[in-house]
Amino acid sequence: MKKFSRRQFLGMTTKAGAATMFAGIFAPSASSMLGLGGVAEAATKKIKPFNFAVLTDAHLYDIADHKFDHILEKAVADVNSIKPRPDFVLYAGDLGQSGKKAELVKGKKILDKLKMPYKIIPGEHDYYLDMGKAWRKLFGDEHWSFNHNGVHFIGMNSILVPDFWTLKKLTPKERMHMMEELECHNCGAWGVGEKQLNWLARDVKRVSPDTPVVIMTHSPLWDYYPRWNFQTYDAPEIREILRKFDKVISIHGHVHQVVYNEINNMRSCGLLSTSWPWPYPPVELEYPHIKQRRADPGDFEDGLGGHDIAVNADFDAIVHWREFSDLLPDNIKKGLKV
Amino acid sequence: MKKVRKISFTTAASVIVVSGTLIVASMAQAKPPRSETQIAQERAALMTAVAKGDDLWHSAKLGNNGLACANCHPDGSASNVHTWPKFQTNLGKVGTLREMINWCIAVPMQGRILEYDSEEMIAMEAYATYTHRGVAIAPAKDEQHGAVPVKSGPGYPRH
Repeated sequence: MKKFSRRQFLGMTTKAGAATMFAGIFAPSASSMLGLGGVAEAATKKIKPFNFAVLTDAHLYDIADHKFDHILEKAVADVNSIKPRPDFVLYAGDLGQSGKKAELVKGKKILDKLKMPYKIIPGEHDYYLDMGKAWRKLFGDEHWSFNHNGVHFIGMNSILVPDFWTLKKLTPKERMHMMEELECHNCGAWGVGEKQLNWLARDVKRVSPDTPVVIMTHSPLWDYYPRWNFQTYDAPEIREILRKFDKVISIHGHVHQVVYNEINNMRSCGLLSTSWPWPYPPVELEYPHIKQRRADPGDFEDGLGGHDIAVNADFDAIVHWREFSDLLPDNIKKGLKV
Repeated sequence: MKKVRKISFTTAASVIVVSGTLIVASMAQAKPPRSETQIAQERAALMTAVAKGDDLWHSAKLGNNGLACANCHPDGSASNVHTWPKFQTNLGKVGTLREMINWCIAVPMQGRILEYDSEEMIAMEAYATYTHRGVAIAPAKDEQHGAVPVKSGPGYPRH
């Protein structure tokens, strides 16, 4: 691959047009241009400060006028109102609930209302009806990376489980239904798998260790509560591959809650959903003060929301959980420095 | 046994003080011990109810918008079975777990409520309670309690 300097790169995109060059990298709704550089650009030590938004876990049903549609619409409008405007949006999986194409199409239609480009990974709810076929057709690759203002961004599919359906002769619908249950009586632990691990190792091989890294997966890259797949079985391998970097920020969906952890150079943030909040599982947290308060089941927007992450020149990121109602404790109301 | 004092106050139950420990015993215990088969059958009957409750808890059929109880309450978590009855704002009164289950079916799930003494409702209560076995009763305690941790499988004997 030919390497471009940032200047050359920007000059070229101005001529060629971002839409043509990056079709398939960003969703077709991409309306603004990103400073996507090659590997050489990522080695630049200084970051040009910016902010990006994150949404996740809409769990849309194939039911017209469903309440979760409206909550996702509200989150999209909220992201569009953030000032300064986020450079782009990341979406951490579970756009649909039962893997139906109609759910994903509906979700894409809503996400396309974002005024900035977005990049997305699948969750288990998007995937196990047709093994990601409809999702890939709509959104492209399940794993990707790009550079933005000196930060290396990575997205991976962390919800791959070994085949539990063939021997049991399950229909795709039965398989999907089992995967829909958080307790996962039959499904086992999930991860990114060997293929993606190899890809990741190749991807970061030439990225300089002083490059700031943000990695997005659907599930946490630490053992939080494996019974609910609040884990990724090959997270230790992922962390090892990324160990050479000074700082890695991991953001993940699936947990539908504010949660935080640190392992070596990795700082992990759990994200709010736009569907329902999960309760905290019965385990002790390393950072028990970084949690949200209990939600009122009578308020369908309680404990839900989106995120704005601001990155400064030294890669201190401030994570803002933008909850629709005020369930954040005082210590993270104005964001968490990670 | 030494120092056993028996006070009969009803025909149904008696209070026995054994070495300073207060024990409430029902008349059932005055009958000959149940056989192991009987105990196993009774246990199996409870587990059948728990399994039925588990299925209902995870079924979208109780509601009309695709949601199941388990969407928000995996493993029965956050049903806080040990805190009922209590004043619940959503109910606007002191209510029971069964009333809260019906409230969840009617409001967030937009479904049709169950009869309070129906087999389904008792099964739901059996499931939620079983997932919190061993948790201390704490009326109105303001906490969100997770279910008893289970590594894998349904967490109870299921056939």
